[in-house]
Amino acid sequence: MKKIIIIALLSLFYLMAVPSITAFALDGNKILKQVDRNLNPESFEMYRKLINIEPDGTKKEFVMFSIKKGKNKIASIFLSPASEKGRSTLRIGENMWLYIPNVGRPLRITSLQSVTGGVFNNSDIMRVDYSAEYNCEKIETTKKGHTLYLKAKIKNVAYETVNMFIDSEKLLPHKIECYAASGMLIKNLYFKNIKDFGDGVVRPAIIETDSPLYKGYKSYIVFAKVKKRELADEIFSLNYMNKIDGLR
Amino acid sequence: MKSIFTILFFVAMTTFFYGVACPQNADNSSNDLDIDLDLDFDIEEVEKKPYSINADIELEEAIRFLDSDALLFKQKYLDTKKSDTFWQTDINFTIEGQYEWDKIKLYGRFNSLIYYNKDVSWESERKAEEAYITFQPSVSLAVDAGKKVHKWGKGYAFSPSAFFARPKDIDDPDATLEGYNSLSADYIKSMEGVIKTFAITPILMPVTRHINDELGLENELIWGAKFYFFTFDTDIDLMFQVSKNLNNQIGIDFSKNLNPSFEIHGEAALVKDNTKYIIDEFGNTSEQEDTAFNFLLGLRYLSEMETTYILEYYHNGEGYTADEYENYLEFIERGYNQYLNTSSMASISKSKKYASSYNQQAAMRDYIYLKISQKDPFDILYFTPAIIFIYNIDDQSASITPQLTYSPITNLTLDLKAGFLLGNSKTEYAEKINNAKIVFSMKYYF
Repeated sequence: MKKIIIIALLSLFYLMAVPSITAFALDGNKILKQVDRNLNPESFEMYRKLINIEPDGTKKEFVMFSIKKGKNKIASIFLSPASEKGRSTLRIGENMWLYIPNVGRPLRITSLQSVTGGVFNNSDIMRVDYSAEYNCEKIETTKKGHTLYLKAKIKNVAYETVNMFIDSEKLLPHKIECYAASGMLIKNLYFKNIKDFGDGVVRPAIIETDSPLYKGYKSYIVFAKVKKRELADEIFSLNYMNKIDGLR
Repeated sequence: MKSIFTILFFVAMTTFFYGVACPQNADNSSNDLDIDLDLDFDIEEVEKKPYSINADIELEEAIRFLDSDALLFKQKYLDTKKSDTFWQTDINFTIEGQYEWDKIKLYGRFNSLIYYNKDVSWESERKAEEAYITFQPSVSLAVDAGKKVHKWGKGYAFSPSAFFARPKDIDDPDATLEGYNSLSADYIKSMEGVIKTFAITPILMPVTRHINDELGLENELIWGAKFYFFTFDTDIDLMFQVSKNLNNQIGIDFSKNLNPSFEIHGEAALVKDNTKYIIDEFGNTSEQEDTAFNFLLGLRYLSEMETTYILEYYHNGEGYTADEYENYLEFIERGYNQYLNTSSMASISKSKKYASSYNQQAAMRDYIYLKISQKDPFDILYFTPAIIFIYNIDDQSASITPQLTYSPITNLTLDLKAGFLLGNSKTEYAEKINNAKIVFSMKYYF
């Protein structure tokens, strides 16, 4: 009788524990790192078009050339419109700078500001690897894919927590929810149009965003010519910010 | 002519306010937008050409409300002009271009200003703000020769360590400056360890009868360097300037983000053998030679409501004390009374010789600068209202400037600002030529 009770209890425990054991077996941070690598190579260049759309349909577009190296270095230069041409941005980890040709020297900016206006802030435009900023605290798996619950591991972040919904086969995000420390939803990012950019780079070509803070406004980032490139560390420095266009 | 400008001005103002107040049916919020996204992205900007040309044109209308009781008004106009409004129209055209060939780049920015006011009628000025050649043999090294702006320092409104640059306009700190002719280099080295990046920027600035002659020296070589360190997430610069006849200077600056919305910065400079030219209330003159210590401490803060605060305290060790400045103003008052009583302009003329020191911006010791700007209020995208306070701690005079900036369409910026000067008599801001001004400008980039 004792044996039967023990076997029954063990069976019950096993049945209850299996889903969480399965989830626990998945390493969220490992998946997050793989998502980062699938979104872009370790060292690469790309062109991006940022489109801000107002509630009445008015569009404002910006075209940028960007380069990224390692987990946390990214630099960009605006190619259009004419009013923004030559402006460049640099991010090294938690540090961000903006160089405006008229001003003639780099100024420190913050992740919450926006150099372009609209729903995207500097953190979105100068995105470094998610694994450089966040730890995965929890992972949930459903038929639709994994949901990674990310919490900031550094202090200078735009979003305290991030919920990342990823395709479990492709290991690419299709939606990201960004929350403030207060728990308020700041914005949603939707990853669309998976495209083969060549050389093994297959990633969403469009990021769409909306925000409860900007009702009726939408912003898009369209990616083009994403390709691997070896880059010197010296490029990611204040003294190089006015020379980034020379890398094109 | 004035009435035409009045009409133009008010039409422009009405357009500006209409654009801001009625942002194209902003309440018509539809999320189902029919968006035609350019996924192929084969657009003109992506294909790089060896050359590029950009230009902008700015139309500015400024009204200055002259203050005939102000001592600097009396110094400039005596009794030849009555209190009045002074209108000026500026048409400013800037063109910049560059040409790249392998490791060499040619760059030039040229400005042409045409202006009208009733004193001078139409006048024009042209200048090359920058014109230089860059040789870049590697990503670590670049050498520049020609007329180039070297803006050092971390301050927004003031920069005591900008040794090789012309002074900033406190009323428009972001305005483009004209460079000096120089030979400079940039060497950058990235490292593992405590110091992540090191860069050195040496500069040679020759002065002859035809090169950098506005510095007032002959056959002089001014030289110096800036050393940049990026360490502990902090930018640090050490700099110096050496010359035979100008004051030798050393300086330091830093800037750091304490959190995503809070940045601090500072600058300090020692100016060796600084000579201060002083005139007292009786017109007696003297020279004071000393090592001057200038410094600045500042912060930028971005609130949750996306309000940006820029606050700076500036100590100008080369500046005049409250007593020294008051004595200068008293001497102008005596000179003006002397002119009224005897028609003698001797004292007023003598005071004018000191105007370049006393009448310059931030001529006194201690200032506070505060700029508060709000991004996209009332859901109006690309609209930024701001207010700027400049407070002279020494004599408690001040300048207050509300400003509205709006970019209703791509490449067009509208700007409206009004400046008001406050203070007791014989204080810096109260004795300026005008006591208020309104400036409206439209700038189009192409």
